[in-house]
Amino acid sequence: MLTKRIQPMASQAKRLYVELMFQVMGRALQAVSEVDSVVQTEAKALPEGFLFEMMVMPDGSKLIVEHMGEGRFHYHGDTAPRPVDVSIKFKHLTHAFLVLSFQEKTSVAFAHDRMLVDGDVSYAVRMTRVLNRLESFILPKIIAKRAVKEYPVDLHLPEKLTSAARIYLKVATHFVQSARA
Amino acid sequence: MTNTYYEFFCPVKVIAGKAALEHIPYELSGLGAKRPMIVTDKGVRAAGLLDPVIAACEESNLDIVCIYDDVPPDSSTTVVRDIAAVYRKEKCDSIIAIGGGSAIDTGKAVNILVSEGGTDIAKYSGAGVIKHPLKPFFVVPTTAGTGSEVTSIAVITDETKGVKLPFTSSFLLPNAAIIDPRMTMTLPPHITAATAMDAMTHSVESFTCMAKNPLSDAYATAAIKKVSQSLLQVMDNPKDSDGRLELAQASTMAGIAFSNSMVGLVHSLGHATGAICHLPHGLCMSLYLPYVLEYNLETIRQPLGELLLYLEGPEVYADTPASRRAEASISALRKLRDALYKRCQLPRTLKETGKVTEDQLDHIAEMALDDGSIMFNPKEVTLKDARAVLQRAWA
Repeated sequence: MLTKRIQPMASQAKRLYVELMFQVMGRALQAVSEVDSVVQTEAKALPEGFLFEMMVMPDGSKLIVEHMGEGRFHYHGDTAPRPVDVSIKFKHLTHAFLVLSFQEKTSVAFAHDRMLVDGDVSYAVRMTRVLNRLESFILPKIIAKRAVKEYPVDLHLPEKLTSAARIYLKVATHFVQSARA
Repeated sequence: MTNTYYEFFCPVKVIAGKAALEHIPYELSGLGAKRPMIVTDKGVRAAGLLDPVIAACEESNLDIVCIYDDVPPDSSTTVVRDIAAVYRKEKCDSIIAIGGGSAIDTGKAVNILVSEGGTDIAKYSGAGVIKHPLKPFFVVPTTAGTGSEVTSIAVITDETKGVKLPFTSSFLLPNAAIIDPRMTMTLPPHITAATAMDAMTHSVESFTCMAKNPLSDAYATAAIKKVSQSLLQVMDNPKDSDGRLELAQASTMAGIAFSNSMVGLVHSLGHATGAICHLPHGLCMSLYLPYVLEYNLETIRQPLGELLLYLEGPEVYADTPASRRAEASISALRKLRDALYKRCQLPRTLKETGKVTEDQLDHIAEMALDDGSIMFNPKEVTLKDARAVLQRAWA
């Protein structure tokens, strides 16, 4: 009886967590493309106007970013201005929760068929590298190691802290601006 | 409980062994097909490989309605459209693809068009676009390596846009794969070697990469054992039909393994090298395999060590200390490559191919990094890492 009551609450909590994480990640993707040259180099190979989506199937939370050119991303929230070019789709809310709560690495989730790629796979691979780079910056090393296949050996504490602070500041500013708008 | 999870799917009926081709009429009639079309290439026809298939069908009063034998090595959307037009004109009701990877992929793509309708194959490109079962489709491989007869993917070049279009759907899987040793008996030595090493690489990567699972492991290890035991035997005696059948079965088993567990960096580098330097896929696989295993070594020490049993047999496995088995597996593969080089000059380094220049390595590394299979490599690969592997593979 108790389980039956708790289950919808747990499901709702997962939904809210995934939605919040997508909002943070979307803004952080925009921020990291403004502060990190490695991410900018990766993003420059994407076509200008390229739209990338991460979403939960069938019609759950999503994040959409656009490559504006020069390696810069712009976060569009959960609404795309036109059909997206590449979408990484989690097959179920639970799978998205496993990845976004760092219980399962993104690479492992791909290997476990938790998500699928719709669009050009090479762009999806590139975006996954960008996401890994972002996670390595903004997460404490002990958690980042659970999120990425391999924590970058050349990412040292001073660079990590400086970049993370700049990314978080930009994310917070973007949240405030969105709330005001 | 760990997060362990896997998926495994292979609904293809495998018809393998002596007189396997003679089962085609019965299997087609079981699916209600009476007007099959053969899709193949000129090389297969010239080698006389269609004759036993046609004879087998005629003996059962089943007429092959038409034969399209002009599939190019790198099939295109135009070719697919043309074949679909012939299929419709002749009112065919099923397809038998006979050949290597290109003929099989073309057969899969033609089946999409004739089943789903239209003339533009490009609109069915991508994953999961096809939602319905297609027409009866049989595959008769004439090489022992690609495993395309059991994979749910086809790649066709869009000539107008100059891009390769991938098609992925479980509906692309053939109803049956017919493995008959007569179809690979006349393969020249260097193709026998390269395609068998392709199957070996599918198996080794399947067993050591991130999406490995108990079922794909079983197919992979069985395939490795067959290639290890039969390849040199067939190289020394090309008319050894039992050996040919072993290699053909190994290729199919490796195909089942890797299509359910994916592949890694060997394929990423191989795809890039194929695209830039136009080297055959199997050759690239054979070339890169030991170098990539050395790169991945510390991440895959345990599974790679297990493979020694299938590569070298129980005696060598038992005599090798557990801590040295992974290195011994790599040595076994190097030894096999040396033996193949001695027999047919299958290149072991990029320099030995004579078709790659050192200044192309950076381009290959960059392209390999964007290849989908790199996602499943057990160890993260940076541009610097890919360059280092290529440098070791150079000479």
